[in-house]
Amino acid sequence: MRQVERAALAGLAGFVVLAVGAAAGLWAQGWDAPVGRAYMAPGTGAWLGTDALGYDLLAQAIQGTRVSLVAGAGGALGAVALGGALGSLAGLRGGWTDRLLAGATDAFAAVPPVVALLGLGLALGPGLSTVVLAIAATQWTGVFRAARAEALRLRAADFYRAAQAMGAGPGHQIRWHVAPALRPVLRSSLVVLFAYAVRLEALLAYLGASAQELPSWGRLLARSGSELARGVWWPTVAASLPLLLLVLCAQVLADGAHGWAIRKR
Amino acid sequence: MRVVGGMESPGELAGLGRAALRRAVVAAASVALVAGLVFATFELLADPAALRLGRGASPEAVAALRAEMGLDRSWGTRLWGHVVGGLSFEFGVSHVRGAPAGALMARALGPTLAYALPGFVLGTVAAVLGGLAAARRRAIDRPLAALSTLLLSLSSVIVVVLAQYVLAHRLGWFPALGWPLGAEAGGVARFVALPALVWAALVWAPDWRHYRAVFMHEWAAPHVDGLRARGVPERRIGRHVLRAAVGPIVARIGQRLPHVALGSVVVEQLFNIPGLGALLVAAVHTADAALVQAIAVATAAVTIGGQAVCDAIVWLVDPRVRRRDVP
Repeated sequence: MRQVERAALAGLAGFVVLAVGAAAGLWAQGWDAPVGRAYMAPGTGAWLGTDALGYDLLAQAIQGTRVSLVAGAGGALGAVALGGALGSLAGLRGGWTDRLLAGATDAFAAVPPVVALLGLGLALGPGLSTVVLAIAATQWTGVFRAARAEALRLRAADFYRAAQAMGAGPGHQIRWHVAPALRPVLRSSLVVLFAYAVRLEALLAYLGASAQELPSWGRLLARSGSELARGVWWPTVAASLPLLLLVLCAQVLADGAHGWAIRKR
Repeated sequence: MRVVGGMESPGELAGLGRAALRRAVVAAASVALVAGLVFATFELLADPAALRLGRGASPEAVAALRAEMGLDRSWGTRLWGHVVGGLSFEFGVSHVRGAPAGALMARALGPTLAYALPGFVLGTVAAVLGGLAAARRRAIDRPLAALSTLLLSLSSVIVVVLAQYVLAHRLGWFPALGWPLGAEAGGVARFVALPALVWAALVWAPDWRHYRAVFMHEWAAPHVDGLRARGVPERRIGRHVLRAAVGPIVARIGQRLPHVALGSVVVEQLFNIPGLGALLVAAVHTADAALVQAIAVATAAVTIGGQAVCDAIVWLVDPRVRRRDVP
């Protein structure tokens, strides 16, 4: 692991600590009550200033970490679980199972993701679980393709066919052959999707489909454009800086994991 | 082995026929799936009549509106209507806007293409040239990689907000937002420039990484070493590398086509452009099933059609694909 990746991992861990602390009530509890006048500049009472209603922006940004992390991790895990399971099934079974699953995935991939995301947001109502579900439901097709390609390679491998010929049961096959073969691919898609899912959550929050009961960076961003035009720059900073840092950490790790998956082959 | 490309053998054509048949089946299944999903979302999960009347509506009023909108028929009939309508590109009338959904969509396509097409061309050309340069020289690679990672880490909302603030409000180079009501050509160009630039930047960041990886791969290919060993000048080698990279480049452009047709929801919302993305958001929020269906099916058709056209181009340009030397 290179130095940059170590720093990125430390950054990610920092965000997790922030989120857990905020959820446990250790800090940033004052986000749901006004602390002063509207649009107080940073440093005057509130570290990052206040928003249009006089709420503390730093507390809101810290609480927003919870939403982003849950949406990113949940969405990525869901997509990897669904795509990985279907992809390895298609690749290992082959034949008509493979043809049908691959065709169905191709058909599904043609559904425009924006339509699916917005439609699910409307149908299920705004909320964090909606975001997680929408991200998982729209992003699994890429994982399916990667897992299927790896499973096809495994299916043709001599050691795997030898294990089958010796009568290895499904449990043994999954434990010793399928899981180790798929792990690098799935791990790299997990990190890549995490970075993407965090940005998708911000987009959905901007469009009003994300969690309503907690502050999120996307909802802070939604207002920040008009505020910036009036010279109020601190809400933009409070929303975009943590988002930039979190996605940057995930992106660096994703690039590392991707290179790692290729070298491992 | 055949050295010169020429007429296709019967085997190649039979493979082509099978591939075309599979594509047609998948295409029909996709459109039917899109229509079914739109139906499930907007008529089963969400009740369009209740959404239109609001929360305080009486059950009788909702039932009456449901009957008027044809929602009281059995769900099998309605699903069948949706799927058949999607497959025949007959989208029906938007209940919310009282106009044919196809016409509404066609009217919104113009503004979207006005900024998305120039932006996409600009972003793709910059990404291909940048990728080629970065694959050759480390001094170019480093700053471009940093820029691309930064842009990738920023949410598109932030990119648009910052571009509006710095380039429009602070520097005053462009109008901040808006869309000309008249049809004067110069007016459109003035308003389109900044959204197109932002769109180009959003396209450039992920695509540059893609093209850089493609060119890295091609520069390391054995035949490039062979050419160098024979003393072929670097400029000519570059032509060979470009030609070998045509397949991945065209494939990537094909993947991007639906983005060009649908545009960016964020760009259109923040720049106030009356395009397809903005129309889609409005249609979803009003549970306008016919309009959502029209946009979704049209985008799916562009996705599938674009993929097919790009595969055909690669098949024609790249003899290795025709001979199945590369997957």
